[in-house]
Amino acid sequence: MSTVADLPGARPTALARVPRWLPGVVRFLRLWEGAAWWLAGRFLLAGPLDVIAHAWANAGLLTRAAAVTLENAAWGFVIGNLAAVALALMALALPRGAGVVAGLALVVFCLPLVATAPILRVLYGPGSGPQITIAALAVYYTTFIPLMVGLRAAPASWFDLIRLYGRGGPSALVQVRAMAALPYLVAGLQIAAPAAILGAMIGEFTGADRGLGVLVIRAMRGLDVTATWTLATISAAVAMAGYGALGALGRWLAPDRPEALLTPPPASATRLAERAAIGALTVLVVLLLWWAAMELADLNRFFAKRPDDVWRFLVTAPQAAAARATLAAAMVETLLWTIPGYVAGLVLGAALAAVLTLYPAAAGSVMPIAVALRSVPIVTTAPLIVLMLGRGATGTIAIVAVMTFFPALVACLQGLRQAPGQVLDVFAAYAARPVQRLLHAQLPAMLPAFFAAARMSVPAAVLAVTVAEWLATGRGMGHLMALSASTSNYNMLWSATATLAAVSALGYAGVALLERRALRRYAPEQLS
Amino acid sequence: MTLPDAEVAPEVVIEGVSKTFAGPVGPIEAVAPVSLRFAAGQTTALVGPSGCGKSTLLRLVAGLEPPSTGTISIGGQTPDAVRARAGLSMAFQDPSLLPWRSLRGNIALALKLARKRADPAAVDRLIALVGLAGFEGARPAELSGGMRQRAAIARCLVTEPRLLLLDEPFGAVDEMTRARLNRELPALWQARGATALLVTHSVREAVLLSDRVLVFSARPAEVVADIAVAFSHPRAPDLVRTNRFLDLCDQVSEALSRGETARRLVAE
Ligand SMILES: Nc1ncnc2c1ncn2[C@@H]1O[C@H](COP(=O)(O)OP(=O)(O)OP(=O)(O)O)[C@@H](O)[C@H]1O
Ligand SMILES: [Mg+2]
Repeated sequence: MSTVADLPGARPTALARVPRWLPGVVRFLRLWEGAAWWLAGRFLLAGPLDVIAHAWANAGLLTRAAAVTLENAAWGFVIGNLAAVALALMALALPRGAGVVAGLALVVFCLPLVATAPILRVLYGPGSGPQITIAALAVYYTTFIPLMVGLRAAPASWFDLIRLYGRGGPSALVQVRAMAALPYLVAGLQIAAPAAILGAMIGEFTGADRGLGVLVIRAMRGLDVTATWTLATISAAVAMAGYGALGALGRWLAPDRPEALLTPPPASATRLAERAAIGALTVLVVLLLWWAAMELADLNRFFAKRPDDVWRFLVTAPQAAAARATLAAAMVETLLWTIPGYVAGLVLGAALAAVLTLYPAAAGSVMPIAVALRSVPIVTTAPLIVLMLGRGATGTIAIVAVMTFFPALVACLQGLRQAPGQVLDVFAAYAARPVQRLLHAQLPAMLPAFFAAARMSVPAAVLAVTVAEWLATGRGMGHLMALSASTSNYNMLWSATATLAAVSALGYAGVALLERRALRRYAPEQLS
Repeated sequence: MTLPDAEVAPEVVIEGVSKTFAGPVGPIEAVAPVSLRFAAGQTTALVGPSGCGKSTLLRLVAGLEPPSTGTISIGGQTPDAVRARAGLSMAFQDPSLLPWRSLRGNIALALKLARKRADPAAVDRLIALVGLAGFEGARPAELSGGMRQRAAIARCLVTEPRLLLLDEPFGAVDEMTRARLNRELPALWQARGATALLVTHSVREAVLLSDRVLVFSARPAEVVADIAVAFSHPRAPDLVRTNRFLDLCDQVSEALSRGETARRLVAE
């Protein structure tokens, strides 16, 4: 059994868990302070002591801001997750429509928050509406996906049991599906906690008057290094606390956690034609809902553009060619920096996970740190990376890479643990070398988790790059959207939003296609 | 006191029933057209080689699968109608306990689904009877394979159904416990006069527990032998050493191997 026991993160006991954090945190703080000393005078990095001093001096302001952000995030968290549950139940109730519901959910998730935020600001006016909505938009998908898996995760025989006593769908939902989905829901909620804070802060970037996001913008504009680091530390701490609190709640609610959280809604065995039909239907439904929402709410056509406005702006209007050229140029700029960062983050995450598997002792201490850092919202990391690596390609690519690296690392470490114990025992029985075990048993087991992370990272990478472009680099789609918003060029803003959402959704679908190919080849048992 | 209709053990009539699954390499005929009649209140053992369709037949009787052809009647009603009033119960080949419920919770769930009042004392008595006293609060993950199977038997019996479908209920149970369960459990349904279909791979068990043994050939299955077991219930412990008992066991074993050979000849 030793094979299983020395795998990374083989369930630590509660006792062993607490002290394992401490040395890591202390080491991290010392490194940070050391770096600050070393870089002193270059206005890049504020050390922990500076941060504490700054926080102390501005305690009142920071506490009020954090409270506002937390409140908005909490509302968004509740609304977004309720929406996720409703969507998942809808997909369950309409098995034929499930593909379209999932597609719709994906497209909405792919809406670039950087553009949605200013649009919402115009729609809502002042107040916390946009922050809450953005927070809800940022969380619902990461709950919806595991929930969809969880609601179908029960073996057929459990449903037979329900039917055996003459009971149907409602009993199955209460007695089997809800209970089987609970651990998945809890896992989704945990990831949603930091995402809600991220969403609330993005909402605050666009003309809110209170909250951490407002202070971040102010600190960045004023090139206030200490304030930037202090705010990043506070929002990271708040996000991690939220993540930890939801994790504790989850362990109490559902002690049996699913091993892999976002492992695929396995690429179903539907044929290409069928998938194309679902895709086309999804596009139709999206356009229809978009149009209907604007019409029903009777929103002013000046800022609430309809699909036909976008069509006119990009295709039939006299200046359409110029508009298309602007959009295309920005898109190319964005993609040129997104793709390398995305790939680098994924590859580094997977590689580190694989290497760590060969050094189980190290993996044990990296896992909690990786899980913690994964929960740090990109809006807090982005300004720091820009401070350190500059506003050019390196900084932007690094931001995207950081965004994809941690989810990939965590998912892959979890995936590597999926290798069935009996299979590992066989390798142990033949005294196979760890590398052989990794190649033949663990890597194939890791693939589904890797691809799940890769899929989910597509919209995340787009979010990261647009945030960076908007806050710092002044290029690409993020900048174009920010500029269009500030000059009230709503035709361009809506066109950019729609295009970017379409590109991210296509990227997601592309990764899903690759996933099916790869799984069919290397892990066919994972395809249902 | 007159028993309501539902309380009378039903006769099960299978007429021209077959079941074909769409397999990855073409259709699989799991059950070839078969007509059988199971008398009310009798226990019938079904034996046959692995994969010959025994589980499928039980699932058809339970109405969990629709038959491809033919009809099934349970006391004159369809399986769906019988299930709708929780008139039957089945112990699956794999225990299928819900992992988040305790042993007691799993058994109580059957009562709840069957809309029957849960009598905690009765549940605990049944748990003790299958030898799981002391584990009432345990989760399935904390039980061994054999213990889980016994839990599933208890769950099947707790609703006191008039038709029991038992799919290798003792498959993973150790030899000693199995012998004890063979002695003690049948009384629970036979005394109430329930109809039971019991799938087993043990020839001895088939003869010991049943009033009739049906021997199937390999897939597509045919009935190779239909052997009456005319011992009265409850059966004495030393029955297994009598010549009549051993003789019946021989007949069943011989029919089993005959079924194998017949199939092999067909295949060649
Ligand atoms: N849901 C299904 N889909 C496709 N084929 C099935 C299905 N269920 C059973 N089969 C096939 O039907 C045949 C009979 O299966 P069944 O489970 O009834 O056998 P069995 O007699 O119970 O075997 P065992 O003694 O091993 O339990 C097998 O060839 C099996 O592969
Ligand atoms: Mg079977």
